Amino acid sequence: MKRLLTMTLACAVGLAMLSFLGCSSEQKTEKAEKAEKAVVAAPAGDTVTVGIILPLSGGQAKFGEVEKKSFDMALDEINTAGGINGKKLVFMYEDDTGRPDVGRSAAEKLINKDKVVMLGGGYSSSVTFAVAGVAQQNRLPFLINTGSADKITEQGWEYIFRLNPPASEYPKAVESFLTEVVKPKSAAILFENSNFGTSSSKEFNETCQRLGIEVVLLEGYEHGGVDFKPLLVKVKEKNPDIVYMVSYLMDASLLMKQSKELQIMPKAFIGGGAGFTLPEFIENTGSAGNAVFSATLWYQTLPYPGAKEYYDKFVKLYDGPTEYHGAEAYAAAFVIADTLKRAKSFSAEDIRQALAETDMTTVFGPVKFKAYDTKTNQNDVATYMVQWIDGNLELVWPETHASKKYMYPIDWAAMWGK
Amino acid sequence: MKNRSWAQLIAPLILLAFPLFVDSDYYRHVVIMALMWVVIGSSWNLLAGFTGQVSFGHAIFFGIGAYSAGLLKMHLGLSPWWGMLLGGPMAMAIGFVIGWICFRLRGPYFALATIAVGEIFHLLFKYFNNFTGGMEGILIIQTFRSKLPYYFLALGLAGACVLTIILVMRSKWGYYFISIREDQDAAESMGISAFRYKSLSLMISSFFTGLAGAFYMNYMAFIDPEVVYSLHYISIMAILVGIIGGVGTIWGPAVGAFIMVLVQETFRSSIFGLAPDWVSEAHALVFGVLVMFVILFMANGVVGDWKKITHLFTGKKQAPSTNGSAA
Amino acid sequence: MDVFLQTLVSGVLIGGIYALIGIGMTLIMGVMHIINLAHGQLMMVAMYITFVLYQYLGLDPYVSLFIAMPALFLLGAVIQKLFLNPLLKVDSILPENQVLMTVGIGMVLTEIVRIIFGSDYKSVTTSYSGSVMYLGDIAFNTPMVVAFGIALALTAGLFYFLLRTDLGKSVRATAQNKEAARLMGVNAERITVLTFGIGAGLVAAAGTLLLPIFYLFPDIGGHFTLKAFVITILGGLGSTVGAIFGGVVLGIAESFGATYLSMDLKDVVGMVIFLLVLIFLPGGLKRLTKI
Repeated sequence: MKRLLTMTLACAVGLAMLSFLGCSSEQKTEKAEKAEKAVVAAPAGDTVTVGIILPLSGGQAKFGEVEKKSFDMALDEINTAGGINGKKLVFMYEDDTGRPDVGRSAAEKLINKDKVVMLGGGYSSSVTFAVAGVAQQNRLPFLINTGSADKITEQGWEYIFRLNPPASEYPKAVESFLTEVVKPKSAAILFENSNFGTSSSKEFNETCQRLGIEVVLLEGYEHGGVDFKPLLVKVKEKNPDIVYMVSYLMDASLLMKQSKELQIMPKAFIGGGAGFTLPEFIENTGSAGNAVFSATLWYQTLPYPGAKEYYDKFVKLYDGPTEYHGAEAYAAAFVIADTLKRAKSFSAEDIRQALAETDMTTVFGPVKFKAYDTKTNQNDVATYMVQWIDGNLELVWPETHASKKYMYPIDWAAMWGK
Repeated sequence: MKNRSWAQLIAPLILLAFPLFVDSDYYRHVVIMALMWVVIGSSWNLLAGFTGQVSFGHAIFFGIGAYSAGLLKMHLGLSPWWGMLLGGPMAMAIGFVIGWICFRLRGPYFALATIAVGEIFHLLFKYFNNFTGGMEGILIIQTFRSKLPYYFLALGLAGACVLTIILVMRSKWGYYFISIREDQDAAESMGISAFRYKSLSLMISSFFTGLAGAFYMNYMAFIDPEVVYSLHYISIMAILVGIIGGVGTIWGPAVGAFIMVLVQETFRSSIFGLAPDWVSEAHALVFGVLVMFVILFMANGVVGDWKKITHLFTGKKQAPSTNGSAA
Repeated sequence: MDVFLQTLVSGVLIGGIYALIGIGMTLIMGVMHIINLAHGQLMMVAMYITFVLYQYLGLDPYVSLFIAMPALFLLGAVIQKLFLNPLLKVDSILPENQVLMTVGIGMVLTEIVRIIFGSDYKSVTTSYSGSVMYLGDIAFNTPMVVAFGIALALTAGLFYFLLRTDLGKSVRATAQNKEAARLMGVNAERITVLTFGIGAGLVAAAGTLLLPIFYLFPDIGGHFTLKAFVITILGGLGSTVGAIFGGVVLGIAESFGATYLSMDLKDVVGMVIFLLVLIFLPGGLKRLTKI
């Protein structure tokens, strides 16, 4: 009997502690609000906090890390150059662990507890989607830099802006490459059963139909399989002209390694971004990964101001290469800084206004948010194609920007050596 | 008797008054999540703790509830709040069918079968993406910007769930459940249909888990099969909530839910930013260690072994524990 | 025809790996009647040991086998002695407490590894990782063929141990009737420690052999835990030969499911077969073969 009483007491103590924390944080935020107001009146040495939501643990942490490093690098440069009109810019990172519900909690915390002025980040499509819902509802601007499901900017949400293109546009450059160079008659599409995988494979399927390419196989797979041969056996049997794959890093490597084992030799293997552009891809696959194409959004030799400098600085600072995800994050940091500088005040409405009026050039190319087709607040980005040539990732398409001439047609038998 | 009514009065009162003196949306959010876990944990406990059928598949019912709400919105354009009506009965119906299949098995075999069924649901909801939206998920916009309606709804659900379990366990059903847990063959020889009462227990349990799922859809506003059919984050969490609080006690899972959510949130945010960053990485580790500790030293959970804990501090010798049924 | 044969070959080869994972589990489940939900996590630990040895000492995974297996034997024995055996004396409502304990152990192992190594993917690419043998047009991945051979050898070894040695006989006696074994002078507690150790050592072999053709990250375990108990139930509890059959049957079923249904449904096929066997063929394939 007594234990129930004690138990209730324990509950009460717990709740009281919680509410105490709640109250104290309320007081804090009240103070912060006051401070903010004061600052708006007379800008002086203070800070502006922006919340950044990235996967820093879990399966996508690899990408989250590259983005966080790029954000940090940009932050340093922004603050050295005087910050936001004299105020120090602060990025407050939250780990979404790659799960939408955690992402949602993280967004709730940043918005309601930490009172950030706007949100950035957003890696995986489903997490980004969930976070965008929270941001829109709380009327706080959210600049997405990687989450790419088309749906996100098709909701008519006025507080959600996207720097990167939607998934359906990733293969734009691939499309012209196909019509001008490969001229395939048939294609096999393999995709990871994830938000990004499903939506981009759907779009590529439609592209193929538009171009009159027969899709002989359209099949998803569960992430984390050991053996893809049952799937690849079907690809081999159908013998398509091109194989298009939307996969993350490790599955991408396994798919290519096992394709080599089965001696599948289409005219071209094309990756739909994500896993095919990372340096680890070629490390893991070796010769099996050579000559593989991939859609990409960025390459360091592109004639964007600062692109090469960013790449070199990143390599020097972190002792490892970066790719388009990093460039997206780096560019997003500068867009955030630019927006906050132009905003009349740090109220959500003014920041939204400033973000909508963005017109600048970043390492990721020109940034301007437009409404087109069914999308709103979407940045229109050119896409490119890269190819692994002799262990290096080279920009091969469009030819006007190419860092190296594409390798095509490909003599697989000679390269793999049976 | 006096103390018990005290407990039953004070806990709900504190929870009712909580939003009055805490108006931070973030802390309200944390308590809302804890209340949702009270529902899931208590439902699991009715089946596992009181009826002795350890389920590793409660994500099925949670998912069915969530998708009942989500699919109504997606296909018929109805408000997902209708899911609060449909989710429970749908989960209950599925629960009945699953029970019909899996109750042929006993003990660990039942547990294994529920894992398998859970995984089948998870994968099929991913595969039939034309119907379920697959991994693109279902997103809605929350109806209310304020947390208050969600808070009181969650509190109401938790209250209804715990109250139902109290009533059931006081009725003769409760005795049948426990007799099945203690010895199924003996119970059957006494003329208790094990299958019928196990099914009843499962149906009540799945009904409330389904409601929690429908609530999740409305509150969290985004679901996909990975989230709601997760073996690790839903099914196993439900078990751990029960274990930590106390299996086979009325209030155990409720206490367990609060402990679980508090541990996770405090550590995920590095003890509210007071501790260094790396602490946030340890949130799952701390929880895992807690689970091992509780199983080793407090086999009946925080509530079930409360005496043992208090006696540790007061220095009294522990009386041999009476393997209690209802607290 | 090539499609059919290649699917069959892939299924059998992956079945060999599955069998290795299953043998350890069947021993643990058969002797102690514990569903070890940390089985995949033990394998994960073995894979990290192999990875570290390769990365920092340049040790070939096949050599690491002789380090990873004893290491996991110790880890398994310690787990049984410190965390599982004490539970027998604890008086609790659910007999499944040991199972739930393994859930906690699995979580802790995963998180410790995550803190040490981060959640990055790691891989070990050896010279033979991609090496293939061809028989006509059918490809046989060499590391998988080797793994299959080792799986057979380990099964034979275990079979001999259980049937012919005194210690093995004590293990079987404990599995059949713990109390009777105790009365016959078998130290049942020590036998359980030994059994869990052997089980963990065997799954270490699976992890080490899988590494050259796969990759690893801290959360890899859960997926293989599921496979392990499917195999165990398919083959029949405590049957070493059954585990080989269970592994190969699961491998073939998944491969054919993937080829002729859809790659998405590969795991569904495994789970449905598992459910059917649980319900309609309790005792698994062992009951059919009487081994």
